[in-house]
This record gives sequence, structure tokens and C-alpha cells, in this order.
Amino acid sequence: MMSPEQAVVVSILICLAGAVLTLLVSRSKTVAGWLAFLITAATAALIFSAVAKVLMDGPSPHPAAFWVMPRFGFALRIYVDGLTAWFLLLAALIAVPAFFYSIAYMRHYEHYSVARYYPYFLLFLAAMYGLLSTTDMMWFFFIFWQLMTLPGYALIRFESRKPENIRAANKYLIMMQIACAATMVGAEVLAVTGAAVRGTVNLMYDFDTVSANLPLLLSTRPMATAFAFALFLVGFGIKMGMWPFGQVWLPDAHPAAPSPVSAMLSGVMIKTGVYGVMRYFLWLVPISAQADYPLARWGMIIAVLGTITLFTGTMQALKQEQSKRLLAFHSIGQIGYILLGTGACMALLPSASPVTSALATIALFGALFHVLNHGLFKGLLFLNAGSMLHATGTQDLNKLGGLMKFMPLTAITALVASFSISGVPLFNGFVSKWSIYVAAIQGSGSARYLAVCALVAILTSALTLASFIKFFGVSFLSRTSTLVRTKAETGRLEVPWMMQLPQVVLALFCVLLGVVPAIAFSLMQRVLQASRGGLGTLLANVAPMKTGLLTGASPLNSAALLVPIALTAVLGLMFLLAYGISKLGRAPRRAAVPWLCGYVREADCHRYSAHNFYGEIKRYFGWLGGAPHPHAGKKPALKELT
Amino acid sequence: MNMDRSMIWMTVAGVLNVGLVLLVAPFFQGVLRKVTARIQSRQGPPIPQPYFDLLKLLGKEDIESGESPVMQRFAVYLSLATVLTVACLLPMGFPAPMNGAGDVILLIYLLTLCGICTLLAGLAAGSTYSLVGISREMMSMITLEPQFAIAIIVGALHTHSFRLDTVLNGSVYAVDGFPFSGLIMLVVILMSFQAFVQRVPFDISEAETELMEGPLMEYSGPKLALFKYAHMAKLVIYSTLFVALFVPWGSEFAFPLGWLLFWAKVFVLVLLVTLVAATHARYRIDQAIRYFAGLVAVALVALVLASYGH
Repeated sequence: MMSPEQAVVVSILICLAGAVLTLLVSRSKTVAGWLAFLITAATAALIFSAVAKVLMDGPSPHPAAFWVMPRFGFALRIYVDGLTAWFLLLAALIAVPAFFYSIAYMRHYEHYSVARYYPYFLLFLAAMYGLLSTTDMMWFFFIFWQLMTLPGYALIRFESRKPENIRAANKYLIMMQIACAATMVGAEVLAVTGAAVRGTVNLMYDFDTVSANLPLLLSTRPMATAFAFALFLVGFGIKMGMWPFGQVWLPDAHPAAPSPVSAMLSGVMIKTGVYGVMRYFLWLVPISAQADYPLARWGMIIAVLGTITLFTGTMQALKQEQSKRLLAFHSIGQIGYILLGTGACMALLPSASPVTSALATIALFGALFHVLNHGLFKGLLFLNAGSMLHATGTQDLNKLGGLMKFMPLTAITALVASFSISGVPLFNGFVSKWSIYVAAIQGSGSARYLAVCALVAILTSALTLASFIKFFGVSFLSRTSTLVRTKAETGRLEVPWMMQLPQVVLALFCVLLGVVPAIAFSLMQRVLQASRGGLGTLLANVAPMKTGLLTGASPLNSAALLVPIALTAVLGLMFLLAYGISKLGRAPRRAAVPWLCGYVREADCHRYSAHNFYGEIKRYFGWLGGAPHPHAGKKPALKELT
Repeated sequence: MNMDRSMIWMTVAGVLNVGLVLLVAPFFQGVLRKVTARIQSRQGPPIPQPYFDLLKLLGKEDIESGESPVMQRFAVYLSLATVLTVACLLPMGFPAPMNGAGDVILLIYLLTLCGICTLLAGLAAGSTYSLVGISREMMSMITLEPQFAIAIIVGALHTHSFRLDTVLNGSVYAVDGFPFSGLIMLVVILMSFQAFVQRVPFDISEAETELMEGPLMEYSGPKLALFKYAHMAKLVIYSTLFVALFVPWGSEFAFPLGWLLFWAKVFVLVLLVTLVAATHARYRIDQAIRYFAGLVAVALVALVLASYGH
């Protein structure tokens, strides 16, 4: 039986070998696709077993060292604690459907070879496994970061005949290098006074060493330490798409990549930034340094940045008319929620009162849960957008309409994802947002700004809803557009089952976690108990929630509660009642065309398209930026719309 | 044993709330129409007319003009279902039946879900007029939702609880000293109440004279009946929510008196809505949004005051 650390290293090696193998068989798209999928599935199985072991039996006592070169402070030490396990779980959970989806999806790229797809995609995955589990803040951080960035760059510019994709990829590359530099400079600042503290090996950039030196550094050089943490926030903030950095690269990069890659970029890659913030700001700082570490102030900064991020990202998303660009802006928006939860946790953690520190844990639960949920629903949404692209050949929402009639299964999964991201009760997004609101509003007794942050978050969730009503409405509902009608005449629009299956699986996860959130809450409880390092120990000691299938979720002070199963039952009964009432009169039913107020036929120029939605709101927030078209910033001419 | 009794109590109270909303909603609508007519010097229909209208519609032909009829049906049933579920979350002279199943955050989001159903229905019908209507409806939802959310959060901040029975019991005034935040929110919600119940001057998304009922334009027969029913029920729901949150006085009396007083207050609120609706003209959407945005700004002041305990 492998230890969790060995399992991670083996997974990375399998991915690297897989990259070579898929390159060799890349002549055949199908063979390469299946091979890549099987490799991913194998690593996912390894990762799942490692995660299960960590969450059931607890983590290993020490990081496992695989390759140590003491003279340079260079060591591949891998450690899988609860926090790492949670993010690894997310990576494997999204990677499997994304790779499976790729098999059929990549066939429609007639002019591009998959030799520049699967190998890079596998390297990208390997890098994420590594980045999430290495304990080295310098060299192996750099190696894994570059291993993630460079294949990511190649994947974003996969469709290299479109100049805008090249520009998007270049932007991504530059931003990621800045982020890498910022984070490494930060690590250097923290390590510069490092001495051998533990054992004989001088691993000056290792988490253990840095963590052990931190109390001294915090008390003697507070400004330098604060500078280092600010650099971490900038570096990981760029990665995760935090305002103002996210707007620079993210909305261009995500739409440029092939859809399964977009799903991984948005679902998993940007979460490595979240992981970094959580790891460095909470788990790196030992409890003994608490007095000198301005945790609450960092919490405030992160919570406020999160609030700005969620509002700006979502408001800019509201202006979008390209399906994947819209989703990319929403990634920024949803990252804002995660940051708000993380910030609220940090702001509330130093409190002496047990109720408030329980709220801190609930805030972190909200953030961690939203990390998983966002991976599930945003991954699904990008696959939906990919299916729409596959069927119609366009990302332009103005040209779509009435797809539900032609691709019903994709439509239903897109509706589930839209409901999840908008926080409709009984879907997973609601539960994580609920946790964040509960913590932020109840915690506003000790950190007053949190009430306003929570309110902005509630308002933003209405904006998210508006945006997804538009996204779902104009593409799947509304009326068939000329483009869709033409496409439907030439062939079947619904995607093949191999693309449907991953969408259905992700949609089922969204519903399952929404109706039975107790699964996620009890997992997260184990996650915290299995990651006892630094300030994380404070979080691990609290069990803030009562959860269960029938009792739902409720904080220990019982001041809030959510029992989705009861709500499902009541809503279901009321649905039946409404159905019964509608059948009372035994009214006959007939299909007809809508009344066009006397016009005889329907033309595309009379349709109400994505461009027309929410004109007043868009006008009032015009100053906020977020052009609906990536580069020119020009509005489409009327001719293009029709 | 205790569990069983509370389950039975919950079921009884839930059935009572749902039944009452279904029974009373058309009556309120009848009163509203009658009083409006009298104000405008018309005779007006008899008060039970909405009951007959609903019954008539239930038997009329159901014409589905959208391209995804399944979505049309789903949206219609869910629309009434959500309103009735909300009825189970509200105290209507008794404690809320689903007190043990959710809190006020769930309430805020379920009220949004009521709106979503109308939006989906309009989108599924697909007529241009419906889409114009739903775009307007969504924009007003964006500016309206934070107002009720703030009112509820103010109550939650004062009582340190999200529980329905605690918050929906005049909690906005539950402070030591003068309840500034509560009174500000009372004024704010009163000033936008017409919009919550979608009556003139804020029935912009339906705007009969320009959009021909907007999202409902393509609906007929039983589907229209359900929508109308949900619309009438919304008036009752929001009125009871308002009374529970802002006008708690008198609910401590014993059963028949407190209960009667509660519904009397709801009735007075409905009359107020009628009076405003009958004497005002509809706003344009941009005017309405500016108006609501101003109210949101005022409400934010109340929220800040509340977080400082005023």
C-alpha cells in the first residue's frame, strides 16, 4: 500500500510518461484521447485513494523526501495533509470528466493536431498535483509553477491561427511569470535569515523551516514579513484572478483555450492560487507567532479585496455577449466569494470567544466548499459552452437561440449549472454561499465591515442570476435563431454521448451536494482535522457544525439552519399541488406560434438578443470596464448582429 | 414523542398557511379591484370575481407557443410551488411551520426563486415582448433584492440569529435605545413595496399598455391561471412578511385575537397598496432603477447603523 505522498509522486510520473506516450500516438485523435483519459483515470484513482487515506487515517507524520540537495536548499518533499487532499480531490474530480469530454470534442478541430493538446494537458495536470503537494517554497514551487504555466500557455494558444488567441496566451504567460517572481521574492524574504532549525539538512525554503523561523522574523522584522505576505497575496492573487489582476489575463485566456482546458483552467488551476493563500496565510504561520502576526488585518484586506473582486467580476460578466468570455468573468466573480470566505475566516479567527472562532471555521468551510462547487459548476458550464460551440460553431450569444429543442440534455445540465452558480436553493452553490453569509453576518459583531461585504455578496448573487438568466435564456430558450436553424437542417445538433456523460456526471454532483450538503461538511471537518499545522490547528480544534442527512446543517449556536431535504420534500409537494390545480379544468392543450403583433414572419433582427439585455444597468456601470469584445473594444455593427 | 408532535404541528400549520394563502389571495385581489374601481369612479367587478376568473381560466384552452413547452410547464408549476413553499416559511399569526427547516437566508433566496420562475417562463415563451419584460423584471429584481435582504439582515444583526421565528417578529426594532436602522428600513420597504408585489407604479415588466403583460403574454388557460394565482399570492406573502418584520405589535395576544389582528394588519396593508396603485402612473425602467438605487443607498446606511447596534 502506497503512502499518500508516494501516490502523488507516482501520479505525477504517470502523467509525465503519459505525455510522452500520447505524443507518440497523436496521429490518431481517438487513440490519443482514450490513452490520455485512461492515464488521467489511473492518476485520479491513485489520488482518490491517497485522499481517502489522509481523511480517514490522518496524514503521514512527516513530509516524504524524494530528492534532497542540501547545498542549494533544494528538496522535493511532498506532503499531503487535509488541505492538500481537498484540492487534489478537486483536481482529480474535474480532470476525469474534462479528459473524457476531450476525446469526442477534439475531433472537431480539423486543422489542429492533438500532438499539441494531450501531452501538454497531461503535463498541466501533473504540475497541479505537484504544486498542491510540494513543501518547497522556492525551487520546486518554481518547477511546478512553470510546468503548469508553459503547457497552459501552449494550450491557450492551441488554436494558433487566430491572432487573438496568441495575444491572450502571451498575456497569460507574462502575468504568470510576474506572479511566480512575486511569490519567489516573498519566499526569499522569509527565508533569508533562515538557519538550520530542524535536523541536519538545511532546507531553507521548506515550509517547516520557514514556519519555524517565522515567530522570530515577525517580532524582529515585521515590515519585511508584511512585505513578503503582500507579495504572496499579489502572486497568488494574479493566479486566482483577484481584482485588479484577474481582469488583465483571465477573461482573454479562458475563452481562447479549447473548452475542456477552459474547464480545468477555471475549475482547478485558478484554485491553486486559493490554495496558496490559505496555505501561506494560515497554515504557514505557527501558533506561537500569533501575537505578532496581524491576522485580522490580513483578513480584512483579503475580505475587502474579495468583495471588490466578486462585484467587479460579476458586473463585468453581465456585459458579456460571448459565452466563454462571460463564464471567464464569472470565474473572477466566484473567486471573490472564496476570498471573502477566506478573509472572513482570518478576520474572525483571532477572537477569544468560542462562538466567533466557530464562525471562522464556518467561513473557511464556505470558502473550501465553494472551491469544490465552483470547480463542479464552472467546469460543467465550460463543457456546456463547449457543446454549444461544437454544435453551432460560435461563442456569440447574439447568434444563438432555441437550442433546448435540439440539445435537451445539454440544456438541462446547463440549467442545473446556472442554478448552482446563481445560488438557487437545493443546488450546491447555495450551500457554500449560505455558509459564507452566516459566518460574515454573524461575525460582524467582531469585524463590522463583514456585514456590508456579505450584503454586497448577496446583491452580487442577484447579478450572477441575471447574467445566467441571459446566458441560459438567449442560447437555450428564446426562439431559434437563423444560425441554429441552418445548422439544425444540416445535421443533428445534440452532442454525442461521450460529451453528454461528463456533463451529466457533473450536474449530478451539483444536485447531490446541494440536497445532501452533510457529505461535504463532514469531509471538510475531516480535512481540517487532518491538517494540523500553524494556525490551521486552531481551526482543526473546532467542530462548528451539526450536520446530517435529516438535520441538514446548522452552526453549533443554532442561530441559523438549513435542511435541504425538508425543503425538497415541501417544494416537491407544492409542485404536485400546483400541477394538480392546473389539471382541475381538464383544459385541452395545443401548440401554436407566438403572436407577433401583426407581423407575418420573424426575422433575426427582430429578436431580442444577448446584446439587448439589461441596457440600463450596463449603462450605469459603464465606467467599470469589461468590454464585451476582447480586443477591439468596439460594438458589433448591426449587420453582424442580424 | 416530542419529535412526532412537532412534526404533526408543522404539518398542520403548513397546511393551514398554504390553504389560507390560496383561499385569501383572490379575495384580496377582488377587494383591490373593487377599491381601485371606486377610486376611479367606476362600479368595479364584484369582490368574488377573481375566484370565477381563475376557475374559468382553468378550463380554457392551453396554447403553448414556445419552442420548449416542457420548460414552460416546469416554470409555471414551480412558480406557484415556490410561492406556496415561502408561505410555509412565514409566520401567519402562528409561528412559521418550516421554522426547523431553514433560516432567513433561505427565505431571501426562495423569494428570488419566485422571480426566476417568471423569468424562465418568459424566456421559454420566447416572444420579443416577453424578453423585453424579463430583462426589465430582472433589472428591478437586482435593485429590489438587496432592500429586503438588508431589512432581514438588520433584524438578524439585532437579534444575533437567523432563525425565522426570531427575525420575523419585529426584530428590526430589537435594540436598546431608539431603533434608527429599523425605522429607516420600514420607510425604505414601504417606499418600494409596490414593486415587491408588482403593482402600479412599478409593474414595469408587465406594462399592459406597451408590453402586453410581458413574460405572461404568451400564456393562456390553466398556465395563466397559475401565474395569476401566484401573482395574487405574492401580494399576500409580501404583506405578511412585511407585517411580521415591521409591525409585530399585538401578535403576543392569545390565539383568536392575535391571529385576527395579524390578518387585519395584512388587510390594511393591501388597502394601502391599492390606494397607491390606483392613484399613480407607471414609471419607466430607468427612472425606477434610479429610484431603487437611491433606496438601496439609504438602506446601506441603515445596515451600517445596525452593525454598530443602533
